[in-house]
This record gives sequence, structure tokens and C-alpha cells, in this order.
Amino acid sequence: MKTRMLGFVALIAVVGAAINGLFVVPADLNQGDAQRVMYVHVASAWLAYASFGVTALAGLGYLIRRDLRLDALALAGAEVGVMFTAFAIWGGMMWGKPVWGVYWQWEDPRLTTTALLLALYVGYLLLRRLTDDPARRAARAAVVGLIAAVDIPIVHFSVIWWRGLHQGPTIGDPSKILNPSAPLQFVLALLAMLGAFTLVWVYLLIRRYQLARLEWHLEDDARRGRVEAARRGAVGAVGVEEPAG
Amino acid sequence: MTNVEFVIAAYGVILGGIALYTAFLARRIRIAQEASHRLDGDVDEAR
Amino acid sequence: MSDLRRGLTVAVAIARKDAISELRGRQAAGSTLFFAAIVLLLFGFALGPDSQRLAEAAPGLLWLAIVFGGLLTMARLHQLEADDGAFEQLALYPVDRRAIYAGKALAGAAAMLVLGGLLLPVVAILYGIPIGAAWLPLLAVVVLGAIGFAAIGTAYAGLTVRMRAREVMLPLLMLPIVAPLLLAAVKATVAALGGDPLGELGSWLQLLVAFDVIMLVVGAGTYGFLLED
Repeated sequence: MKTRMLGFVALIAVVGAAINGLFVVPADLNQGDAQRVMYVHVASAWLAYASFGVTALAGLGYLIRRDLRLDALALAGAEVGVMFTAFAIWGGMMWGKPVWGVYWQWEDPRLTTTALLLALYVGYLLLRRLTDDPARRAARAAVVGLIAAVDIPIVHFSVIWWRGLHQGPTIGDPSKILNPSAPLQFVLALLAMLGAFTLVWVYLLIRRYQLARLEWHLEDDARRGRVEAARRGAVGAVGVEEPAG
Repeated sequence: MTNVEFVIAAYGVILGGIALYTAFLARRIRIAQEASHRLDGDVDEAR
Repeated sequence: MSDLRRGLTVAVAIARKDAISELRGRQAAGSTLFFAAIVLLLFGFALGPDSQRLAEAAPGLLWLAIVFGGLLTMARLHQLEADDGAFEQLALYPVDRRAIYAGKALAGAAAMLVLGGLLLPVVAILYGIPIGAAWLPLLAVVVLGAIGFAAIGTAYAGLTVRMRAREVMLPLLMLPIVAPLLLAAVKATVAALGGDPLGELGSWLQLLVAFDVIMLVVGAGTYGFLLED
């Protein structure tokens, strides 16, 4: 199966990028080894935002076309997105403690924005879980996904203005790695990790989508009482087992 | 400056988390496929 | 009658209906206001008794109280329809969904405006904030905040009011969304109270306007899908 191949390639890519980031690339002059955390932190953050883009667009697509497959894609995006968002926050904290001395920094706009991102999409997933009817669930989720996606740029600008006159810490600025004058090796290490994570991301999206479709079919079959209808003629039938999860 | 613990914690949780999620998805897909096959089998039997 | 006029008529009718039921069911609206005032009081106990500290925190506490009271307000404005099954009825009318949304949002904004407006003197008294001189910019902030909160609150209240666990779902969905609104409203309030020394009041008001416009557009656009439930 092509998905399996993608999975293997992604695995190799991640292992390679990790080895590169941990052992091959030298430590930063100022931040030391903490710099290495940036590779996984930034990569996770990018894919978190990409995931929610998928969720928002797939949701919009559902509202237009009413195709539940788009809803399955939206769900996949949200779940994968929540995971990468949590990773991004964790990475941010693991970088922040050694460099800033604290795990959390209210003045860092990216950290606060990402925390809100997590809150928004956990809410999205909970909303889905509390709605049973598939069409209603898909419509509600699509609206929430869209509103959340639209809110993010607003949050981004508002927290940057919020910091305003407070100068961010100068040595420990996470966006340093994105600066064009950063050492080439660092940039390449970041790109390698980003590429590897992207492969992982696509793989996980596909798998989560497949799972969503499978579970939808089971849900649908159960609702339509397929087996019961077929059994109406049979004698002494055993009960249908509910699928797990 | 080493800060090795933080680097290990970062990579460990993130890469480990990806691995766990991958395994979790694989398991749930397998369960769903089995349930689906059983359902198909039940339908065929009942016919 | 043109579509626009018809839409406006519907919107005003809905807003008026909500306003009347708010005024009639005075206890509910009043209780919410009282709740918000108690929240402000409790903040005093939580963060006090240092007056200086409370005075500095006052704008933030004001807006938190408005947000908490606002959650109750938005839920209440949709509860009546939900209980009567009126949403399903509304969905059957061949009327522009955006008009229905506009009416509900208008009612919501008015309710929030009353809430915010009445909380200003409470904050002034409890935390020693001189609101007299800055009443105009403060009013502007409250108006813009009320509109933004109602814009998103209408959509989300419509969504959650018929759900399981609705009491927690509305706050859960709304609070992250209104974070930029809260942030901007507080900063604008601080600027207004302090005479805007850094000249940033304008920027914050612009951010509020942007939030309001975006949320109104998105809310109006998606409300129809929520009604078709």
C-alpha cells in the first residue's frame, strides 16, 4: 500500500533529521544545545497551523458540498493539529526554560497564540464528541473550525501589539532561527526537520482520515440496522457487537 | 552550556508522541476493520 | 418590498421581540447584572486589599466581569427559542438567515451594552477609578466590545443551546475566541482612563472594529447552517 511506503519514508526522514539536529549540527554559540529544540519546535508549529488550515478549508468545503468525506478530513486535521500544537507548546517550553529561565513568557506572541490555538481546537474536538448526528456534527464543526481559523490572525496581531513597548528578550528570540542571516547549517537542519515532519503529517492525516471513514461506516451501518434487517428472517440470532471506541 | 535534559525531553516527548499516535491509529483502524468484517459476516450469515 | 428592506424588517422585529422579553423577564437580566457585580466584588477579595493593585487591575477585572456576565446573557437570549422549538420554526421561514442573525446579534449587543454600561459605575466605586472624564472613549470601547461579543456569541449560542453539556460548551468555545477582544478592550480602557499618554487608544479601537466586522461577517455567513440543524 502506498500509505505504508509513505510511512516508512517518513520514519526514515524523521530519524535522519533528528540525528542531524541532535548530533551533526553544532550547538549555538549563545543558546547552546537548547538551539536544537528549535528544530522540532518550529516544525511542529508550522504543521499545527497547516493542520488547522486543512480543518477550516475542509469544513468550508463540507458546508458547500455536504460531502461527509470532507468532514472526515476536517476531523483528521483537527486531531493531528491538536497533537502538533501540544508539541509546539512543549517544545517552546523546553526551549524557554534553558534560554529565558522560565517555561512561560507572556511577552512571547507565538507562545500565547499557540496556547489559544490549542484551546480553540480542543473545543472543536469536544464539540464533535458531544454531537451524535453526523450531518449536524459536520455542520457545527465546520462553523466552529471556520470561526477559529478566522480568529487566529486577529489573535496574532493583537498579541504582537500587546507586547508593544515591552522589548522581547533579545538573545533568546525564537524567530532568530528564521532570520536570513542565521548560519546555513541551522537553516538546513530546520528545513530537514520540517520536510520530515511534513511527510509524517501527510501520513498521519491519511491514516486518521481512513479511520474516520471506517468509523463512520460502522456508525452508519449500526444506525441503519443493517444486520437486524437482514436477520428479520433468521432464527435465534446472536446480538450485534458494538465496535470498540 | 549543555541543557541536555531539555533537549532530550523535547525530542523524546515529540518524537515519542508521534510514534504513540501512529501506533494508536493503527490499532484503532485494525479494530474498526475487524468490526466491519464481522458485520459483513453477520449480514451474509443472516441472509 | 426589496430583499434588503425585508431583511431589515425581520432583523428589527426579532431584536424588538428579544428586547421586550428581556424587559419583561427583568429578573433574568437583572440577575445577570447582579452576578457580574458580585464577580467584581469577589475579584476584590481575591486580589486585594491593596487599593493600588486593584486600581491597576480594574480594567482587566471589568472586562472579565463583562465576559462572564455576557456568557450568561447570550445563553439566555437563545434559551427561550430553544425551549419552544422556535429555532426549527425559524428555519422553515423563507427569510434570509442573515436577517435572523442580525436581529439576534442586535439584541445581544444591546444587552451587552447595558451590562457593560451598568458595570462601569460599579468598577468606579469598588476600585476607585475616575470614569467621569473619560466617559466618551470608555463608552466607545464598551460599544465596540459589546458588538464583538454579541457577534460571536449569537453564532455560538445558537450552536450550543440545543447541545448536551451546553452550560460548559458555550464558555469553552467562546472564551478562546474573545481573547483578542478582551485584550484590546482592556488596553483601550487603560488608555482611555489614563488620558491616552501613548496615543494607542486609536489602534486598539481599530482592532476592536476589525474584530467586530470580521465576526459579524462570519457569523452572518454561517448562521444559516446552524439553523438548518
